[in-house]
Amino acid sequence: MRCLASHLALAYLLILAVVAGCTSGSDVAQSPQSDTADARGEAAVDKTVSPAGISELKTYTDKDGLKTLIAPFTPPKLEELEKTVEWVEQPVVDTMQRLEDHLREQPTPNDDEAALSLRNDGAENNRKILAALDRLPENEGEVNWEAAITRHWRGDARTTNPVFYNSVEDGDISVLLHSYLFTFDWELKPFPDKAVVESWHSSKDGLYDKVVLRKDLTWSDGTPFTAHDVAFTFRTIMNPDVPALAVRSGTDELKWVEAYDDWTVVYFHKQALATNAVNLNFPTIPQHVYEKSLAEDPTLQKSPYHVEQQNNPVCSGAYTVARRQRGQEMVLRRRESYYLHDGKQVRDKPFFREVRFRVIEDGNVALLALKSGEVHDLEMNSEQWVSQTSSADFYEENTKATGLEWLYFAFEWNCASQYFDDRRVRMAMSYAFDHDEMLNVILYGLNEPCTGIFHPTAWMASKTPKAPFKQDLDKAEELLEAAGWDFRDGDNVRSKLIDGRKVPFDFTMITTNVPERVRICNLLAQNLNRIGIKCAVKPLERVTHTQLMVDKEFDATFGGWGTGTDPDLSENIWSTSAIDGGRNWIGYSNRYVDGLYQLAKQVESATEAREQIVKEFELDKIGVSPSATRAEAYGKIDDLLYADQPYTFLFYRSAFYGFNKQLRGYMFSPRGPYHYSPGFFSVWMTMQ
Amino acid sequence: MASYLIRRLLIGSLTLLLITMLIYALIRSMPGDPSMIDTEGLTRRISQEDYDLARKAYGLDKTWYLAYFEWLADVARFDFGNSFYYKLPVGDVISQRIGPTLLLSVTSLVLAYLLSIPLGLYSTARSGRTDERLLSTGLYVLYSMPAFVMALLLQSFFAVRLRDTWLGLPLLGMHSQGYDLMSPWEQTLDLFSHMVLPVFCFTYGALAYESRFIRSNMQEVIRQDYIRTARAKGVGPIRVLWHHAFRNTLIPFVTLIGLTLPALLSGAVILEQIFTWPGMGSLMFQSIGTRDYPVIMGLVLLFSIIALSGQLLADILYTVVDPRVTYS
Repeated sequence: MRCLASHLALAYLLILAVVAGCTSGSDVAQSPQSDTADARGEAAVDKTVSPAGISELKTYTDKDGLKTLIAPFTPPKLEELEKTVEWVEQPVVDTMQRLEDHLREQPTPNDDEAALSLRNDGAENNRKILAALDRLPENEGEVNWEAAITRHWRGDARTTNPVFYNSVEDGDISVLLHSYLFTFDWELKPFPDKAVVESWHSSKDGLYDKVVLRKDLTWSDGTPFTAHDVAFTFRTIMNPDVPALAVRSGTDELKWVEAYDDWTVVYFHKQALATNAVNLNFPTIPQHVYEKSLAEDPTLQKSPYHVEQQNNPVCSGAYTVARRQRGQEMVLRRRESYYLHDGKQVRDKPFFREVRFRVIEDGNVALLALKSGEVHDLEMNSEQWVSQTSSADFYEENTKATGLEWLYFAFEWNCASQYFDDRRVRMAMSYAFDHDEMLNVILYGLNEPCTGIFHPTAWMASKTPKAPFKQDLDKAEELLEAAGWDFRDGDNVRSKLIDGRKVPFDFTMITTNVPERVRICNLLAQNLNRIGIKCAVKPLERVTHTQLMVDKEFDATFGGWGTGTDPDLSENIWSTSAIDGGRNWIGYSNRYVDGLYQLAKQVESATEAREQIVKEFELDKIGVSPSATRAEAYGKIDDLLYADQPYTFLFYRSAFYGFNKQLRGYMFSPRGPYHYSPGFFSVWMTMQ
Repeated sequence: MASYLIRRLLIGSLTLLLITMLIYALIRSMPGDPSMIDTEGLTRRISQEDYDLARKAYGLDKTWYLAYFEWLADVARFDFGNSFYYKLPVGDVISQRIGPTLLLSVTSLVLAYLLSIPLGLYSTARSGRTDERLLSTGLYVLYSMPAFVMALLLQSFFAVRLRDTWLGLPLLGMHSQGYDLMSPWEQTLDLFSHMVLPVFCFTYGALAYESRFIRSNMQEVIRQDYIRTARAKGVGPIRVLWHHAFRNTLIPFVTLIGLTLPALLSGAVILEQIFTWPGMGSLMFQSIGTRDYPVIMGLVLLFSIIALSGQLLADILYTVVDPRVTYS
């Protein structure tokens, strides 16, 4: 028995070890990805998937006998399409040329040496450093073409297959390994990439997009990259057995994708919407690699063949996988056949021979790695920026730069909870919080205050200036009392009678277990304590935190959202329909906001639909007419959210980067220095 | 002895079953699951049906006990499933980590014992004198210094400040770039240089603890009558310590070794993260964070077997070091 008892004790200890292993947290950031897919529906048969415990989902069968989520559709012949559709030519953009033109318009920069000798201790020096070092090479001799760059990763990539792309790291390699037909620039404008696309035409009615591909792009195994690959990828993404959930969201807005020949692909939209271009940005996988294995293993991940494809994927991008050690590093090598075709250079030669992603989870070690030259870049936190990168040992090998990101953080109030269902209470929270202490003490004065979901400089932001909230405890108390939260029976905690029951104002604020976030939440708790509100701060492991939000089992939370490539993507956070299945975890519902999102989707020519929306949602009551532009509609949403304060908007978190002194060509966008086009492709290393 | 072993193995199997079942139940009841992580990058709404399909893809549509018995049946066929995160067979994922983990832990264990025994004996022999007090103070200082702080200090000094000198050591990882192109001798040197700092950090705490452990046990033993008798008979001090006293401190020492065995494979989460060492500790930690159930279960199974074997081994070793112990 003694032996059994000791074994049980061992079991208990192991269980404790597993349960205790939960910490850490990261940003909740909205991804830019969006796409859709479908499958041919000839002779399709409706059927349902109904295994035990699974909700029924309507699926169809495509011509290959595979499941699809797309309703049957027979596309017209190209000749018919050409006769009936009025095409409008759209620009195809050479992103590097575009960047070069943009930089040429900037003020004359300092020379590199002067910029590299500066200490980045303020906005002026930051501007000088970026102005000098964001440049492209003046001649080929300046570039170290044999350079290998080592970039820092906080965690490993999950996949090399772009249809499963779901994290920042996946995104980093996805754009290097795979060619995208559509991309977006530093202003987040979508366009086809000249490296892949020959021409792009949109139909005047907004229902079709026709893309002709370049004939000189091949996969890394030498097979031509064709329109059939694009259509196949669409069908694959829309196969319900393929677990491509993140990439499917948005792609499923498309009705059909048809490859009419090797180079011509036409996208069929369900409706003529202003947001349609966003849905074209899905990745492409090689048909010749997956078409035979898909039926046997629709997960594309389990069979030995697919595992091998994960390790050594056939790529269409500028790089291929040279080496991968999971949890440690991934090394990509420049693909000569990407930029050379039949011995001639047909695309820009990527600046680095090798790109190495080094996984270093610990932030302190990552900084040491930057200082020692082990990595060439590092995204830092505010504390590292202020106190650990000001000395000579940092500037010996590196410099640093910061740029504004459209990544806002806020206290998010669960509008369905008994505490925060009243706008006045939410407003009181915003007045009760000491914004100045957060900005100047906890965040070292490095981040700018936030007042809404769109950055004031963004095209979709409201043109009505909004003052950031300042702490005003009197006003907060006034609002709380107006909302019925008083001190009763000599208590020192406010309470309210709800259904005849006295409810004390005692709630829990959940957040991910990141020290900076916990400090901000603790500051709120201290502030609220002064006006008779008890707030318990509960730091949680990231996944647990997300699950509580998805389940709506929280009173309030601290979190952040990054910008998508189109403001329409924020509908998933704010519309009533996104309460179930979307990211509107706080249960915010505003009829006008719902209507404005609908209105903003409509193309200008859709007069009838616009009038219908204005009428249905009574948008005229808030001064919105059917002819409102997209910018006006989103601006109005911004205003309504400011007035309702479902979030207490706090700050935009800037990007803080350390760069090795040999690097040039980094330019910050609202999504940081890399996550746009050309992004990383404009970064290069000098010969010195 | 045979019946004892059979009984222990049966109880061990039962314990193993219990551990794996409880852990499976616990991880399935943890908030969040792999399908939720898969949908973190969503920009649009997702229907309940889509969520359900994603859950089905991971086998989460089954109740935990059904899924557990399926897992058990697969394990009986030596099929440990595929990692949700790495998309590779669990056996491959774990086996990639065993080598690096053992490299550190075995080296550290051997070093710790090789050094702690003479240090413990020396402390006993020189008890109360200045050199012993200095040594003890030094060991206490080491013991009280958290390994992660020591690791960062050493990295900062040897890998950053001295990086261009002959004393410079690698900051992290197991190999330098271009390792594959090196000669076997260069590869050995490269690996050795990468091991120096992590092995030191793994070892010094155990060294301090074990040498103090030996010393305190020896202090008790050398007061025994038979030691006094041995001395009275004119046996030299070294022989008294080594042959008469130390052998009698082996039983608690063997217990310690038995308890250490599981740690050989379980790795150390923080140190592995700091040195970016691809070990089992960080794999376990990461698997929990990503809700990689097959890997968690594979690791739990492995750790449990090692832990139970360690205890059994320690019990058997008692009979070797102490003839009075029998399991008849």
